[in-house]
Amino acid sequence: MFANFRLAMTWLHTWFGLVLGFILMAAFFFGALSVFDREIDRWAIPETRFAPQHMPSFDAVLKPVYEKLKPHPDDMVATQKRVIGDLPHPDTLTISSLYAYTTHRDPVLTIGAEFDIPNELKDAADEHAHVHGWATIDPRSGEFLSDDKLKIGSNWFYPMHYRLNWSWMLVGYWLVGLAGFIMLVALVTGVIIHRKIFREFFTFRPWKRTQRSALDLHNLTGVVAFPFHFFFAFTGLVIFASWLYFPVGDTLLRPLHKQHEVVEAQRTGLPNEPAGVPAPLASVDAMILEAKRRWAARDMPGEVGLLFINHLGDINGYVSLYRAGSDQVALVGQAIHFKASTGEVLREEPPPSVVGSINEFLTGLHLQHFEHWLLRWLYVLGGLLGCVCIATGFIFFVEKRKRKHAESGSQGSRIVDALAVTTVTGMLIATIGMLVVNRVLPADLVGKGDWEKLAFWGFWLLALLHALWRSAPVAMAARNPAWAEQCRVLAALAFLAVATNWLTTGDHLLKTVFIDTYWPVAGLDLSLLVGALIAAWAGGRLACKSTSFPGMKQEGEAYE
Amino acid sequence: MINTTDQARALSTSHRLHASMRDRLHLFVVARIAAALLGGYAFTWGFTAFGITGLVALGGDFHEAETALMLIAFLVYLPLFLWAFVATSLFRVWAVLGGGALVMTAVAWGLQQVLLS
Repeated sequence: MFANFRLAMTWLHTWFGLVLGFILMAAFFFGALSVFDREIDRWAIPETRFAPQHMPSFDAVLKPVYEKLKPHPDDMVATQKRVIGDLPHPDTLTISSLYAYTTHRDPVLTIGAEFDIPNELKDAADEHAHVHGWATIDPRSGEFLSDDKLKIGSNWFYPMHYRLNWSWMLVGYWLVGLAGFIMLVALVTGVIIHRKIFREFFTFRPWKRTQRSALDLHNLTGVVAFPFHFFFAFTGLVIFASWLYFPVGDTLLRPLHKQHEVVEAQRTGLPNEPAGVPAPLASVDAMILEAKRRWAARDMPGEVGLLFINHLGDINGYVSLYRAGSDQVALVGQAIHFKASTGEVLREEPPPSVVGSINEFLTGLHLQHFEHWLLRWLYVLGGLLGCVCIATGFIFFVEKRKRKHAESGSQGSRIVDALAVTTVTGMLIATIGMLVVNRVLPADLVGKGDWEKLAFWGFWLLALLHALWRSAPVAMAARNPAWAEQCRVLAALAFLAVATNWLTTGDHLLKTVFIDTYWPVAGLDLSLLVGALIAAWAGGRLACKSTSFPGMKQEGEAYE
Repeated sequence: MINTTDQARALSTSHRLHASMRDRLHLFVVARIAAALLGGYAFTWGFTAFGITGLVALGGDFHEAETALMLIAFLVYLPLFLWAFVATSLFRVWAVLGGGALVMTAVAWGLQQVLLS
């Protein structure tokens, strides 16, 4: 079928890139947004617009909070399906392990716990006799935040990035994983196809016809950000590899893995199982002080980022304190473990090995928990360049074929073009439409988050229907007017988002930038305004630029 | 008159020929995609299992070995995936990918038994 190596690579690049490109687009775009997920949360939940907080006192603030924490109704339902017989009433269950997590960008604190259940499990291989509870609290008061308020940044846009918010059978993870792998394939095949990499670095001819300039921009954004694209696709796969994509340690090599864990528990002195002997919990605040003293002694003073207690209330219980890594790339916690009943240090984790360091550096660079605002913005830029690269790939695909398709009566480029509209402007409409809906719905509406999710998919579906409905001109080698129309809707929505934020919270830009500076909200408002201007400009250009160039000569170079 | 009928017949033959070639093309593409995606995945799976048990057998730490192999896995999968589309013989692709997967998985399983005993 393939006459030569390069044609095979071209075929791979074109078709795999096209089919998985629609998913890649979402992975790149929502990845770019996830860089500022916490800031988007602040915009969407106005009562959390205050400064980031350190881990609060456990003894005074968190202890009473965990006493109030109950298994989450969602997980009660999910767990009921895995067990034999009815689960006990959630109020009667006790916590066996718990965590609290914060970063240098979090005003609010995420907490969670595992509750033991007495039921037998349906699946003998299932060893997880627990039900989970989780909540978000205000660390200054210990007050619970309403579960109805969706953290749009970290609980909607961020999971869109790696699982498309499609958790059924983990399909979302697999699709994004496949798309990430195809990104690597597309990058390698792209280099093989084009070869003249250095020249393409400097080639962009926007005045040429759409097909030519789309390809220029496709090559430019692909080449300029090549290391960025490769790095993020690759490390994204590595992050999920041992858990999902190649779970050999949990399947074929499970016995070896188990044996290792038993040996490891003996070596580290951290008990794998509870002893069944009740014991009280010593002062965790004292342990936090000791951990901070030890970090400072190792010349890396820091705050607690993750607090974890295992086998709570048991003599085998231990408290693990992980350092918040805002000053380092690698996701290393420099964990210190304490005996829960006495507060004595059980173990101070040694520096990781070479392999561990490489892994933690690579995944740390992807997940970016460290503090570096310039790099944070460069990540956004890189993600958006990836989007431009994919979108211009779609446009090139359509431009190259639409005349031929118009002659033969094929609907191919028409459908691809409509899908491209949906994944480019449609995705933005869904995103920004969701933010507008967040500001318009009453703050105390029951199930507010669910309505916002519905609005997100609703806007996206409308964008798809609109793009299909307006797509007829593409079959005649002209442009789909939906491009321009959706750009204009987008501009209007983005302006509206900023305006509704002002009207519903009083936080206008003069206030958030100058009077009472609060960058998380100001940054999103400014980005929305810039987006609105670009969308309005693009909408105008697309509407007036003539859509076909009859009689224009084909250019000399033939690109496959 | 005779000419046009001949032409028509020739045209329809060539159409049929084209259609059968297209079918074969589709089959070719589907077979290659299956070999690249599934065969490549199976080979990489076997490779990671074999690599982990191998490193543990050499005295390595289980999680270290697992991390190392997870870092390599997709760099193994990627060239295999591309190769499946350019190799001349599909049979050879399946022999290498499928055979390699089976052998490495079996060796990993055997090594595990030895390590556990």
